[in-house]
Amino acid sequence: MIHETIVSASRCPRCRRLVVPPAPSCPDHGLRMEPDSVPGVGEVVSFTTLHSPPEGFRSPLHIALIELEGGARLFCHGDETRGIKIGSRVAVEAVDAIFYFSSLSFADRARLFWRRAGARGEKVTAITKSVVKGIWKGRSRG
Amino acid sequence: MTRFGRREESLPDLMAEAARAALADADVERPDAIVVAAMNPEEFTGEGNYGSLINTHLGFSRVPALRVETATSSGLAAFYCGYLAIAAGFHRTVLVLGGEKMSHLPTPRVSEIIGRSIDPHERRYGTTMPALAGLITRAVMHRTGLTLREISQVAVKNHANATRNPYAHFQEAVTLEAVMDSRMVADPLRLYHCCPISDGAAAVVLHAEAGPVRVAGIGQGTEAIAVRYRSDLTSFRATQSAAQAAYRMAGFGPERVEVAEIHDAFSPFELISLEDTGLIPAGKAGRATLDGETALDGRLPVSPSGGLKARGHPLAATGIAQIVELTWQLSGRAEGRQVKARVGLAQSIGGIATNNWVALLEARP
Repeated sequence: MIHETIVSASRCPRCRRLVVPPAPSCPDHGLRMEPDSVPGVGEVVSFTTLHSPPEGFRSPLHIALIELEGGARLFCHGDETRGIKIGSRVAVEAVDAIFYFSSLSFADRARLFWRRAGARGEKVTAITKSVVKGIWKGRSRG
Repeated sequence: MTRFGRREESLPDLMAEAARAALADADVERPDAIVVAAMNPEEFTGEGNYGSLINTHLGFSRVPALRVETATSSGLAAFYCGYLAIAAGFHRTVLVLGGEKMSHLPTPRVSEIIGRSIDPHERRYGTTMPALAGLITRAVMHRTGLTLREISQVAVKNHANATRNPYAHFQEAVTLEAVMDSRMVADPLRLYHCCPISDGAAAVVLHAEAGPVRVAGIGQGTEAIAVRYRSDLTSFRATQSAAQAAYRMAGFGPERVEVAEIHDAFSPFELISLEDTGLIPAGKAGRATLDGETALDGRLPVSPSGGLKARGHPLAATGIAQIVELTWQLSGRAEGRQVKARVGLAQSIGGIATNNWVALLEARP
């Protein structure tokens, strides 16, 4: 079972773009970004296994690019990429300032859905839609 | 230009070899200015202040010289600066040269130095150029249905072209099976999908007076250095913007381009780039390559020089080597690999497609 984490982010006051980790300026507007945060659950954008990683990293090195809710993307390490596909739902968590991804089981996704629906009443409709969509996509992919 | 590959000479010697050949060819004894491209000689060879180092080494210490850098596309960036100097009326002849010397270092060290062009936060995850290219390749294959066979054919085609280019790093053909069975580097990218580590230099002389080939257009395009800031991995905004700017300046579009030199640092990048420049419709580059459309005798020959994969990729030399190849092609001097063309396009990728260039050259009637 995974536990949901909160990831620090920053948001552009003009274009509302969200980036992780927090950056001083919006990459497109040069404006000072505002602090924000986002749940550590997202979708795999792409991934690779590097067989000759640079010094200081063990081979094989599993790297994935994950898109969190709200559109912020971040690089993560993982124990393996078996069972991971583009579009898979994963949880991300930082250990020593490095993010790691792990697959979400069906039970994890259901639990996150109920907990979030309870914790954020005002956003229930939007979140319900997004999570149900996520669960449905996850299930339809097997 | 010099022969690309493993070279024993120093980078200043390689640059001098390329510069002398270009000056002799242009019948210019002494240029009005020099623009030097070098991506990272400080760390590859321990030398800096490259404008001054090179103008002195060439015996032109009184000729104004500057250095230009946009990572792996530095060569076309230098070409742009040389062009600007002439277009603005500051100079009549500008020597543009670029090169890199890296093969004396162990491969992990070279990868690490090249990798410094990646966003510092993303480098903390061990991302190298092949790792990011692997990630991009998987995303493209997933989105468009591009196959490994189509990607691998780029390497086969470029190796075949290089067997006809005496300046190329590799002079051997490779089979599709050899490419597809080569060692895995960054899943799904294999060794033969990646360009080699090459030494070499290339030079060209730009002249205010009309010559056999003219610069019809040149454009730059940029993208955030952080890959995580991009909303799409399957095309390169920096190439698209550069191509738009170049076509706008030229007053014509991709339909007039008859030969191209494309930045295939990784084989799938050639396919992405052919679509980003509008030379092939979106989603069709893989099929076109497999069908031979981009081969030397195809409808649109792409990288007759052998490209980065087989001509080699001495970083800052590459963009200028593309210009040299197109100049030879457009003036009927590409012996052994001559194609029929009046307009050529060069495209160069800086970093992981953060600072890209497109140049259009046209033969004068």
